[in-house]
Amino acid sequence: MSAVDAVRNTSAPEPGVLRAGVLAVLVHVSFIALMVFGLNWKAQPPEGMVVELWQDLPQPAEPQEVPEPSPQPPVKEQPEPEKEQPEPVLEPVKESVEQQPVPESISVAPSPPKKPDIPLKQEKEKPEPPETVKEIKPDPEDLQKQAQERIAAEKQAKEKAEAERIQREKEAEQEAQRKREQEAKAKREAQQAAARARVMNEVAKYKAMILAKIRSRIVMPPDLPGNPVTEFNVTLLPGGDILNVSLRRSSGYAAFDSAVERAIYLSKPLPLPPDPVLFNEFRNLNVTVHYLE
Amino acid sequence: MNTVVTQDLSLLYLISSASLPVQLVMLILLLVSLLSWWFIFRKLFVIRHEIKQTDEFEDYFWRGADLNALYQRATSSRYASGSMERIFAAGFGEFSKHPPGSDDKSVMESTRRAMQATYQREMDKLESHLSFLATVGSVSPYIGLLGTVWGIMNSFRSLSNVAQATIAHVAPGIAEALIATAMGLFAAIPAVIAYNRYASDTEQLATRFESFMEELTNVLQRRVAE
Repeated sequence: MSAVDAVRNTSAPEPGVLRAGVLAVLVHVSFIALMVFGLNWKAQPPEGMVVELWQDLPQPAEPQEVPEPSPQPPVKEQPEPEKEQPEPVLEPVKESVEQQPVPESISVAPSPPKKPDIPLKQEKEKPEPPETVKEIKPDPEDLQKQAQERIAAEKQAKEKAEAERIQREKEAEQEAQRKREQEAKAKREAQQAAARARVMNEVAKYKAMILAKIRSRIVMPPDLPGNPVTEFNVTLLPGGDILNVSLRRSSGYAAFDSAVERAIYLSKPLPLPPDPVLFNEFRNLNVTVHYLE
Repeated sequence: MNTVVTQDLSLLYLISSASLPVQLVMLILLLVSLLSWWFIFRKLFVIRHEIKQTDEFEDYFWRGADLNALYQRATSSRYASGSMERIFAAGFGEFSKHPPGSDDKSVMESTRRAMQATYQREMDKLESHLSFLATVGSVSPYIGLLGTVWGIMNSFRSLSNVAQATIAHVAPGIAEALIATAMGLFAAIPAVIAYNRYASDTEQLATRFESFMEELTNVLQRRVAE
């Protein structure tokens, strides 16, 4: 009996089974919450910075200082090389269009109607006194003659005025035409100058970039006296590959020369403008490197 | 697994975008971890309770209480009794079953056997689930590693299709794969710690039970000799 009791005793319920389960779940929930909210999972990779290294500013730096080229003197002003390019071209066109109608309206349109108006009135006013005279002296033949003369004179005057007006109109038109042509010519010249400037700008920019790239790769030999200068002739292939590098003028220090030559080869491919037309400017490149900046 | 370079690397996104085997491994590890923590807490309560009861009973026993009274108490409140109390009950019950004047040796032998049997049972109960903790502690890192290796394998395999391989192509795959290892370790570390702790605790209890059995045998032998 007691042995049975003892055996039964071993089947006593285990304490805290449910509590243990709840605690286990709690541990996991809190751990997951910690992982999800506590840890700062990187949501964005650090953005790479693109830095363009310039040894010195490209030559035509002046137009860049003026952010918006004022369009009034399009001939003198060098337009912005890249994005602003359409603006200086377009705006002079607009202006010239606006300006053109103004001289036309002054010289052509108002003057012809005005002038005939005045002589017509005078002629109209003139014949009236004879009419009053007519009534005093009723001579039918004279009257008829006078009337005919008057009509003829009137006609003549009218024709004359008409001719004059046409002449004037023609002159005005010619004047306007000349003006327009002049303006168009100026505009074209301005555009050409701008394009040339743009090309030069682009070329200078890329030349500066090439030089900067080469300079960045030079391992300068230390402690050279003075500021030696070395010059290289670099023959380029389209795409920026280097075909040939030849020493044009040595600096007198072989270490410096060879350092620059190595740097030129190392900076292959050289930056070239995307416009293939400009490549001719770069086919034979003259690279001059000063030891000191 | 996709090779799309995603900006979002949150934990949930990584888990949900993992390949099926890796997800399976993660699920197994989660279940194992839950189960092991459940056992950890259960064993914690059980062993703490056991130590307390053993302390109380020893205290009571060595204060020189009457053995019959102790037996009464042990058998009446069977659910509240601890292991040591049950061992005592089994031994004393067996001892008192023998009529007076029977063979000393055989009485002591059977008493001992009864106590030994109960001791074995009690120890079995105390040590239950400890082997599970040991298994979790030793195996779950490997399961996690399997998931990680699988994930990285896939990640690199998909990298072969990309012309320009960057770290950004493999990073999400590796990150999601490493979560499996993290989960395996999360399941294993507490399990190992708990196993070692509980093993030493039960070992201590076992020694206490054994010494108590020896002492009780002596006490009963003295009673027989009287």
